[in-house]
Amino acid sequence: MNPYILATLLFGLGLGTTITFASSHWLLAWMGLEMNTLAIIPLMAQHHHPRAVEATTKYFLTQATAAAMLLFASTTNAWLTGQWDIQQMTHPLPITLITLALALKIGLAPVHSWLPEVLQGLDLTTGLILSTWQKLAPFALLLQIQPVNSSILIALGLLSTLVGGWGGLNQTQLRKILAYSSIAHLGWMILVLQFSPSLTLLTLLTYFVMTFSTFLVFKLNKSTSINMLATSWAKAPALTALAPLVLLSLGGLPPLTGFMPKWLILQELAKQDLAPTATLAAMSALLSLYFYLRLSYAMTLTMSPNNLTGTTPWRLQSSQLTLPLAISTLATLLLLPLTPAAVALLTL
Amino acid sequence: MTYIMSLFLLGLVLGLIAVASNPSPYFAALGLVVVAGMGCGVLVSYGGPFLSLVLFLIYLGGMLVVFAYSAALAAEPYPETWGSRPVAAYMVIYAAGVLFISSKFWGGWHEVSWVPGDELGEFSVFRGDIGGVALMYSVGGGMLVISAWVLLLTLFVVLELTRGLSRGTLRAV
Repeated sequence: MNPYILATLLFGLGLGTTITFASSHWLLAWMGLEMNTLAIIPLMAQHHHPRAVEATTKYFLTQATAAAMLLFASTTNAWLTGQWDIQQMTHPLPITLITLALALKIGLAPVHSWLPEVLQGLDLTTGLILSTWQKLAPFALLLQIQPVNSSILIALGLLSTLVGGWGGLNQTQLRKILAYSSIAHLGWMILVLQFSPSLTLLTLLTYFVMTFSTFLVFKLNKSTSINMLATSWAKAPALTALAPLVLLSLGGLPPLTGFMPKWLILQELAKQDLAPTATLAAMSALLSLYFYLRLSYAMTLTMSPNNLTGTTPWRLQSSQLTLPLAISTLATLLLLPLTPAAVALLTL
Repeated sequence: MTYIMSLFLLGLVLGLIAVASNPSPYFAALGLVVVAGMGCGVLVSYGGPFLSLVLFLIYLGGMLVVFAYSAALAAEPYPETWGSRPVAAYMVIYAAGVLFISSKFWGGWHEVSWVPGDELGEFSVFRGDIGGVALMYSVGGGMLVISAWVLLLTLFVVLELTRGLSRGTLRAV
């Protein structure tokens, strides 16, 4: 793509999230979200093949619907309460509508079906932007509204963790697996939103780091399906050795970083006297763990047969940057001992 | 005045039926013109003359004109107007639906719940939303700048999506 256009679009992406972060008026927040949607559309369609254009169209339609719902809820709130402030919402109808609109925006169950198909049509870099950056602005809004109905958030959260686990079990395409993993993690974030918003933020940030590592592992191996992952073990042995740990961190196993949010969320749910909810959420994490284990098994724990050129490839210097992956892998694997510091820093 | 408002509202609903009954795009565009015109009349009476003006200029004079030209380029040999069988069937169904639903909201407090947006009862341009416009241009200047940037971004987005002449994103270009 023309570098000026690429710079303009990335600037638009950054500005949109910044505007939503900085806004206290619903109209400005909506403008930031629309700017994010607009700016990422050409990035998604930049490879011009029909699958990418289809993914772009689906993304645009769902995000436009969610933004329209958000605008409708804000104007309803202005009609009912007379003001547009994000943090001063009190009427239950607009709050519920906004929660559902933002759920559609980020891809929570039951309005999650666009996410696997959209991610599948994108290349790994754009998919990474979609999975990480585009979740920041809606969460900034979700963290600011006071929920009125406890059950809707718990229902969205539990349903998302279950759908994310079950949906990902039958997938062989890595991008769809990552989409379902995203749905499951978003479910965990929403589950604890009304009890401890700082834990939601913690889960969001750890999810960012873990999924950043995962996307980059797949990008460096140039693999988009389990078969391609299985035959990539010889390409970069350090990657083959660390990728299972990254995937198990996504699955939430101690002593890796991914355990931190799940542990704290289960503790918070138990403190709120929601033991069955906590049990159900923990068991739904087992479903996701199974397909992360399957990926680790395919890549590292077994050496898939290949011909000679596949098992002893030339290891030429790649033009891709490896420093981001190095830093994020460190964070994905080793940050569990910093749990007290993380909890102390993220006070909302 | 009430009579004019009733006529405008009737025209609005009839125009909506004309659009929703699925005729060919040029006839639907004509229906949209009627809907927007009638809606603007209702807006003027209830305290939104500036909004009505902007609607006429931008929606009808900008977006609908562009749509009409695009629809004219995609002309079809046998367009369906409101007299053809499937469109007329839809019109009858929607008219019946409107009559049924409006009968549910007839009388009682529904008749007096339509209030203007300000306290002035006369038919003038200087109504409630002019104050909002003044605020938008003074303290809301930053939002206007952001809106201008978003419009420019949209232009670049559309140009990038349509660039490439069938080897690009849209094969139909």
